[in-house]
Amino acid sequence: MKNSFVELSGRDRAIALLDEGTERELVGPFDDMISPHLEPQGIVPESDDGVILMKGQLEHKNVLVISIESAFQGGGIGEVSGAKIVAALEQVLKDNQNGKTIYPIIILDTGGVRLQEANYGLLSISEIQNAVVAVKKYVPVIGLIPGRVGSFGGMSITSAILSYLIATKKARIGLNGPEVIEQEAGVREFDSSDKDLIWDTLGTKQRSATNIVDEVVEDSVEVMRDAVNQAISKKKDAKRTEDADFYLSLLDQLDMSKPLNTVDYRELYKNVKTVTHPITEAVATTEEKPKSRGRLWFEKLTGIKNAETNVSTVLQATVDGKAYVAIVPDPKNRFPRVREGEAGLQEGFAIANAVNKIIKDDVDKEVKRPIILVVDVPSQAYGYKEELIGIHVALASSAAAYAKARQSGHPVISFIPGDAVSGGFLAHGLQSNRLIALDDDSITIQAMSKASAARITQRTIAELEEATKHVPAMAYDIDNYEKLGALYQLVKGVSSWDANDQSVAKVKKIIDEAIDSAKNDANDLRFRYNTKIAKESGRVATIKMRQAVADQWSD
Amino acid sequence: MEKLTFSFKNTKPVQHPVHVGVVASGDLEVIFKPTTSKETTLHIVTGSDGFKEVWQNVLTRFFERYPLLADIEINDFGATPGVVNLRLTQAMEALNNEE
Repeated sequence: MKNSFVELSGRDRAIALLDEGTERELVGPFDDMISPHLEPQGIVPESDDGVILMKGQLEHKNVLVISIESAFQGGGIGEVSGAKIVAALEQVLKDNQNGKTIYPIIILDTGGVRLQEANYGLLSISEIQNAVVAVKKYVPVIGLIPGRVGSFGGMSITSAILSYLIATKKARIGLNGPEVIEQEAGVREFDSSDKDLIWDTLGTKQRSATNIVDEVVEDSVEVMRDAVNQAISKKKDAKRTEDADFYLSLLDQLDMSKPLNTVDYRELYKNVKTVTHPITEAVATTEEKPKSRGRLWFEKLTGIKNAETNVSTVLQATVDGKAYVAIVPDPKNRFPRVREGEAGLQEGFAIANAVNKIIKDDVDKEVKRPIILVVDVPSQAYGYKEELIGIHVALASSAAAYAKARQSGHPVISFIPGDAVSGGFLAHGLQSNRLIALDDDSITIQAMSKASAARITQRTIAELEEATKHVPAMAYDIDNYEKLGALYQLVKGVSSWDANDQSVAKVKKIIDEAIDSAKNDANDLRFRYNTKIAKESGRVATIKMRQAVADQWSD
Repeated sequence: MEKLTFSFKNTKPVQHPVHVGVVASGDLEVIFKPTTSKETTLHIVTGSDGFKEVWQNVLTRFFERYPLLADIEINDFGATPGVVNLRLTQAMEALNNEE
C-alpha cells in the first residue's frame, strides 16, 4: 500500500522525506516563537507560525527541509515564518560556503503573502528569493509542490527561482488566485467559480506541459523521496528565470485579439522560435507620453525627455555611470492588463534582459554600475493569459536578475515616488539593498488592494481598515511602512508629482549617498533589519527568529 | 478570538514536552510542557468565543481520568469538544510513547 505524501501534515511531510531517526526540528513548537501580529487582529496563532524546519539526512546526504503548513492560515508567509525560512537558508549558504555541503528542500503549500501581515510578507518573500539566488551558486534548491493549496502569490515567484520543481497532480501554481483576478479584472477575465477551468489552467498537467513544473510524481512518500534524491544527486536545474528571450519571442507570436485556451497555448509554446530581445537605451522624443510618477522621475533623473525604448512600458538608460529602470503606463499597450503601469509578462522578461546585460557588460569591471529602480507599480497584471503563460516566471526573472546584480556587487537602489504594490514590487523594487521613498500621501505600498484583501481574508473593508490601525504592516501608506524599518530614507518635503529642480537635486544627492552606503556594506538584504527603527520595533520578531535559528543550527 | 485560562490540581508530572495537532479549520494544537508548579495551568487561545463552560467540562472530564501535571498551551481554531478530547488523548499517548 502506498503512503500518501499530500495527506500528511507539514511537519510529517518533512519527517517523511528524511532517513528514519535522523530528523531534528529547529525552532519548533516549544520555542514560543509565534507571530506577534495575529492576536491583535483576533486571529489564533500557531506555535511554529506555519513553517517547519527539519534538519536531517536523505539517503545519507545532509539536508534541510523547510515545510510550509497550508492548513494554518493557507500557508501564508508572515514576519516570523518568513524570517524562519530566510534565516535557515542563510545558514545553509554559510555551511556550503565553508565547505559543509547541505541541500535545502522547500515544500511549498502556500497562498503567498499572509495578508494579515501584508508588508512583512512581501519583505520576507523578497528576502527568501535573495537567499535562494545566493544558495543556488553552491547547491540546487529543490522545491516540492505536493498540493492542497499549491503555490500562489509571492511564493509562486519564489517557486520559479528554485532550481527544480516536483509536483503531484493535486497541485496548482499561479501568481494571482482566480478569486483575486475576478475581483480586480471582472468575472469575464477569470470566473473563479469555474473549477474545471481553474484546474485546466493552473493544474500540474498544464504546468508540466509548459515547463512551469519539471516533474510530476505519484502521491506517495517513497516516490517523492526518490524524486528529491535524484534531483539532488543529479544537481537538476531548470534555470527557469533565464529564459526571457524565449518568452519574449512567445509573446511576439501571441495573438492578443483572441482568447487563449490551454490547448492553443501548448501548441504555441511548442513552436516558439526564440530570437534575442535586447532592450534599447531610452532616447528623447518629441511625442508627449502618458503621465505617471515613475515616468516623471525617470525623465528628471536621467534628463531624457519623453523617453522611449523598444518596449513601451519599460524605460532604461545609463546616465553618468548609473543605470535607471522604470515601469510606465501605456494606455494603448497590446496587453490590456498593464495599461496603467502594472508589471506584466513583457515587463518582467524585458527588465530581466536589461539587468542581465548590465551584469554581463560590467563583469570584468572592478566597480560595478549602480542600478536605480524608479518604482511606481500599482500591482502585477491581473489577467487570464498572464496566468496561463506564467506571469510569476516573468516577475521571478526580473527579481532574480536584480538579486544577481546586487550579489555581483552592483549597488541596487529603489527610489519610490509612486505605488509599490505586491508582485509588482517584488519584481521591481524589493531586491534592492536600499529603499528610498518620498513622504507623499499619494503612495500606496501594500500586498493587495483593499477589496481583494477583504474578500480573501473574509472580512469587511471596515474590519480591514480597523486592523490597519493596530498593525502597521497592514496599512497602505508610506508613513506606516516606515515603521517596519525597511527604508533607507523617507524623503520629506518632496512631493511625487512635483519634480522641480530643487527636489530633483535633493533626490539625486540621497541616491548617491545610498549608493555609497550600499557599496560599503554586505550585498544581501540585511540592511532592512539593521536600521534603528527595525531594531527597536519594526523587525524585532525577525531579529529574534534569526538568533534562534543561529543558536539551534549546529548539531 | 478569546483567551481562557484554567488550572487543575493534578498529580502526574509529565517528563517531556509534546506537541500534537495543527491550527487548522476545526482543529487545534496542544502543547504539554513539564512544570515545576503544583498545578496544571492551561492557556487557551480559541477562535470561537463564548465556550468557556464547554472547555471547563471537556477538561474536567479529561483530567479526572488522566491527572497530568504540566503547563499546557492550546491554540484552537474552532474544534468541537470531540476533537479537543482526541488531541488531548493523542498528546498523552505521545508522552507514553517517549517513556
